[in-house]
Amino acid sequence: MTHRRLRTILWTLVGIAAACGMLVAVQRPSPTAEEAALASIGGPFTLTGADGRPFSSTRLDGRPAAIFFGFTNCPDVCPVTLARLTKLRRQLGKGDDAVSIVFITVDPERDGPAEVASYAKLFGAPVIGLTGSTAEIERVKQQFGAFSQKVEQPGGTYSVDHTASVFLIDRNGRFVATLSPEEGEQVALAKLERLVT
Amino acid sequence: MIRSLSVLGLFVLAACGQQEAAEIELSRAWARPTVGQAPGAVYLTIENRGGSHDRLTGAFTDRAAMAMIHQNEMADGIAKMRMAGEINIPAHDRIEMRPGGTHVMLEGLRAPLKTGDNFDLVLRFRNSKDQTVKVTVLRADAQ
Repeated sequence: MTHRRLRTILWTLVGIAAACGMLVAVQRPSPTAEEAALASIGGPFTLTGADGRPFSSTRLDGRPAAIFFGFTNCPDVCPVTLARLTKLRRQLGKGDDAVSIVFITVDPERDGPAEVASYAKLFGAPVIGLTGSTAEIERVKQQFGAFSQKVEQPGGTYSVDHTASVFLIDRNGRFVATLSPEEGEQVALAKLERLVT
Repeated sequence: MIRSLSVLGLFVLAACGQQEAAEIELSRAWARPTVGQAPGAVYLTIENRGGSHDRLTGAFTDRAAMAMIHQNEMADGIAKMRMAGEINIPAHDRIEMRPGGTHVMLEGLRAPLKTGDNFDLVLRFRNSKDQTVKVTVLRADAQ
């Protein structure tokens, strides 16, 4: 093979690579489409606070928030998640005002304002506990794409299967990212750091 | 000659059949505080120092109406809590229960668990006799 021929082949390959690159760039959704998809998660809501009074999501404005859907009869995943969030917030080193931690019950049947109030106090740091009517909770779950389902347990009690991820909201109430229980603490901390800066 | 061989054979058979028993040791049992009627979760380490496996079949405590071994499963981002059934404790191995996985759930607590509380938890095994462990209730940031 002559040098000239080799050079032609190489340049052809370069050309193909460039064409592929352009095609990928063109096919990537525009930032506005991505923004629209993110903006469809969350949005304003009104629930009932731990004091029994209406709680409007506008009260969360001006500060990022980590929102978790759980229930107070949940002995493991829910306290683990809320304890993790309070720990991450401590690690940020910017005080309790840096991020609001919000706990929304998916079990309004058993969790009234008193239940979410005492549950939120278990973590030795401020946690906002919210409840509401079944219809209100369903609406907020839908807004966030959160899932929950009652599961009968032996002895006539029930447990609730529910979304394990935490929804991160920026200071303007816009959905930014989720925190999943599987990702490492470094990734989680980096996400929170980006949220508060 | 035949007799001595058969005696030897019996010895060999006996040696094969004689398995070292399971030797269960419980440690590092803790729970987190609870409020109201909410159930509690106990985590502990079960070590089997023996030469044969055993199975954890149940849990009991005077502190709650029911103690059940539960397992958390994560499927498609959904947390599901289910009864775990029996848990195998292999020979020369240990099971460390950690938050987010297997735990002993205490349903119907006689009083909410408070930081610093201590109570006995009894675990039942298929082969070994019942084992009791002291559970300590730890503060949220000490867990």
